[in-house]
Amino acid sequence: MKNCDQFRELIEAYALGALDLEDRAALEAHLATGCAECAKAVEEARWLVSQLAYTAPQADPSDMLKGRLMQTVRAEAEAQTKPRVMPAKSAIPFWLWAGVAALLVFSIYSAWNASRLQTEIREANSRAATLAEERQKVEQQLAAAKLEAKILMDPSSVKIMLPGSDATGPQLEAKWHSQLGIVVMGEKIPMPSPHHVLQLWFIPKAPGMKPMPSMMSWPDANGKFVMLVSNPPESMDATKAIAITEEPEGGSPWPTTTPLWVGGVS
Amino acid sequence: MFLAAFTSRGPREVPLDATLLTSLLQKDVSAFEQLYDRHSRLVYGLVLRILQQASTSEEVVQDVFLQLWRNADQYDSSRGPFVPWLCTMARNRALDHLRLKSERQRRREDLPDELPSAVVAPDYEKALDEKRRAERVRALMASLSPQQKKAIELAYFEGLSHSEIAATLKEPLGTVKSWIRNGLLRLKEGLQATT
Repeated sequence: MKNCDQFRELIEAYALGALDLEDRAALEAHLATGCAECAKAVEEARWLVSQLAYTAPQADPSDMLKGRLMQTVRAEAEAQTKPRVMPAKSAIPFWLWAGVAALLVFSIYSAWNASRLQTEIREANSRAATLAEERQKVEQQLAAAKLEAKILMDPSSVKIMLPGSDATGPQLEAKWHSQLGIVVMGEKIPMPSPHHVLQLWFIPKAPGMKPMPSMMSWPDANGKFVMLVSNPPESMDATKAIAITEEPEGGSPWPTTTPLWVGGVS
Repeated sequence: MFLAAFTSRGPREVPLDATLLTSLLQKDVSAFEQLYDRHSRLVYGLVLRILQQASTSEEVVQDVFLQLWRNADQYDSSRGPFVPWLCTMARNRALDHLRLKSERQRRREDLPDELPSAVVAPDYEKALDEKRRAERVRALMASLSPQQKKAIELAYFEGLSHSEIAATLKEPLGTVKSWIRNGLLRLKEGLQATT
């Protein structure tokens, strides 16, 4: 216990809080070793030091201090002893409900808006497709008109007259270009019977060969008739004549009626 | 005035603190009020002696008793009497306040725990009631040499260290250490002899 004796001299001052840093660190290091006797001595020294409180002149604190203390203590006691009253309506504050409602409204609006936008996109796509289709049709018509114009204007085109079976009726006129095709056109052409169409035939020169079916078309409301054949027989010389018959809608593989117009190919 | 605080309490009242503290654990406001009435003069006098300013001292006392109300379970009655524990807590708080005020934070760590679990009493303490002990402590302190008394008071009420006391009193460090140690041992012997 020699070692302890060195520290015993420090214990009272340690309990008093008067030790300087070095002494204090040394004593605490010793206490940390688990010296029970010194630990007990420290505890007793703390009690001894606490007795010095009696040397201070006692004094009366103000009544206000007690008042403040008791007010605080009573309030805390009430808060702890009273069962916590839950809000009658809901534990969820109003602002949270308002937030949820706003979010719900926004979600519904967003869903409706998304649906509306999708519909608009679909309609726009449909309109775009229609316009593209119409444009393609116009372009095709334009291309056909250009081709027709070339065939009609080209001096190498062969003119073929197609008189009608009725001598008093309108006649058709065709222009055949060996490379570009054939244009058949006429004015005041009567509309074929319902569910029927006017069909073009190529009648070969070779004996025994059947007429070759070609394009089908109708005159417009004004009786104007124009038919473009972009893929005629390769050799004009092999064709004896061209003819137009009235055939059921969809065309026929061979003529089923007497030709209404026939023109010889010279 | 000092003795008047103890004249109304006899030996049979000593166990009352333990009873009141048991009730305090159940958040008994009446028990708290009785504890305050019994010990506020002692605690306030101690804090006022350290801080020397009434308003600040009341703030510290309020803090001490609110800590008692809120953390009464930190006091272990089986390890020591209540009053020394309460006074230790009050002194620590007051010295903290004093050091904060004087910006001597460097010595803050030198203090014992702010809320000591107990201030263990020696066996001889149990036979002495508070009135007699208070009288005896004051008498014993008065019997010390003025240097011993002054050195102990500087340490206890102002929180000064050995070297600070030596500088204040302009005395050698070893002398100051002896004054304090011998003075406290004399106090201890006096209290033992009282039993």
